[in-house]
Amino acid sequence: MSASSKVIKDGLWYNTPIFVQVLGICSTLAVTNNLKNTLIMVLGVSFATSMGSLTLSALRELIPRKVRMIVQVLVLSFYVIIIDIVLRAYQPAISKQLGPYVGLIITNCILMGRAEAFAASNPPGLSFLDGLANGLGYGWVLLVIATIREFLGFGSLFGFKIVGDWFTPWTIMVMAPSAFFLVAIALWIANNYRAKAEAAAKKAAPGAPAGSGPAGAPAPQKG
Amino acid sequence: MKLNRNSIIYTAVFTFVVCIVFVVVLAIANQVTLSRMNANKKLESQLAVLKAFGLADSSTPASEIDSKYSQSITEKNVDKATAYIATIDGQPYVAVQLTMPGLWGPITAVLATDPKGTVVRGFEVVDQQETPGLGGRISESWFSDQFREKQTLPNGTIAFAQGSGKGNFDPANGTVDAVTGASRTSDFVNALVNRELALARQIGGTL
Repeated sequence: MSASSKVIKDGLWYNTPIFVQVLGICSTLAVTNNLKNTLIMVLGVSFATSMGSLTLSALRELIPRKVRMIVQVLVLSFYVIIIDIVLRAYQPAISKQLGPYVGLIITNCILMGRAEAFAASNPPGLSFLDGLANGLGYGWVLLVIATIREFLGFGSLFGFKIVGDWFTPWTIMVMAPSAFFLVAIALWIANNYRAKAEAAAKKAAPGAPAGSGPAGAPAPQKG
Repeated sequence: MKLNRNSIIYTAVFTFVVCIVFVVVLAIANQVTLSRMNANKKLESQLAVLKAFGLADSSTPASEIDSKYSQSITEKNVDKATAYIATIDGQPYVAVQLTMPGLWGPITAVLATDPKGTVVRGFEVVDQQETPGLGGRISESWFSDQFREKQTLPNGTIAFAQGSGKGNFDPANGTVDAVTGASRTSDFVNALVNRELALARQIGGTL
């Protein structure tokens, strides 16, 4: 498995931010009651983490260790403000609807997490991929949760009414508590599935180290 | 010569240069889009006033807003607020734009009414920073549509109450549905609406 395909698979599934790293939960709870906001948030986070990782990785040989976190915050917030400016100028309606959440992308732990865990020690191209894969890995989970919440909470998807007036919206789905239990249920299902897949992989290839390998395939031999 | 990356001088210079570079790029990006942002803001505010008077809706093309606005609306500055006067079908109407505190930040909204403040013509939020999906729903049309042709209560106010959650569209009861899950935002908007009604009555009395 090449390095880049491993990075992509890790970001999207084996080490996905929400299920495995359990990062970015705050925004998962906050924006997922409506698909449109979620999509913009996902695109914003993916852009900020991929570009941030790219820049920080390119600068990694130059950044003094003592101030590396300050530089990381600076670079990441730079991209977040760029998103904010672009939305304000070209998509005022969406910018207005998202309100403070765009600026809050910087507080998303995934950004700093990837900068510190990956971009600080890997080449720029790979770091970009890692940031993108993590942004999208975060994104698909959010979109699934938002689909459930918007459908049950408003009876609509992307603002389009799907069901008729007979439908009684589940108000709780629009509010914060539903996000807590939906994220918890999703985590439970994903980790259960992962544990089973790992057990199966172990059975198929006894003696091989379990963990990072894809389900069903023999785990990569290290060392 | 190899740079000592851990020296204080290198660290200080590096941090300084990095900050300058990124901040300059941001400043340029901001400057480049500034006129666009201001135009958006102005248009947004004009559209809100037109919507409150019932002279435009969300489908009104952006190109028509400015001309429509200058044709039908007269602005009037009163202390701390802007008043707008429009004559629709021979009847004068007054609107007031006011900014008051919300839960997370200021809320700016326009309320249009007859000069006596007995029947609301329309209400529109111009700007707010409330929680998206909860308090932020005050910007949605179901919320503002409740105010259309709404008669005020005998004491000249509009009441906010818990309702079906779909909106209260009975013009005679002087009551609108508050936003579910956003009681605090609803309280702030309620105060804003009633203050605007009082101001509109003052201005309407001088017409």
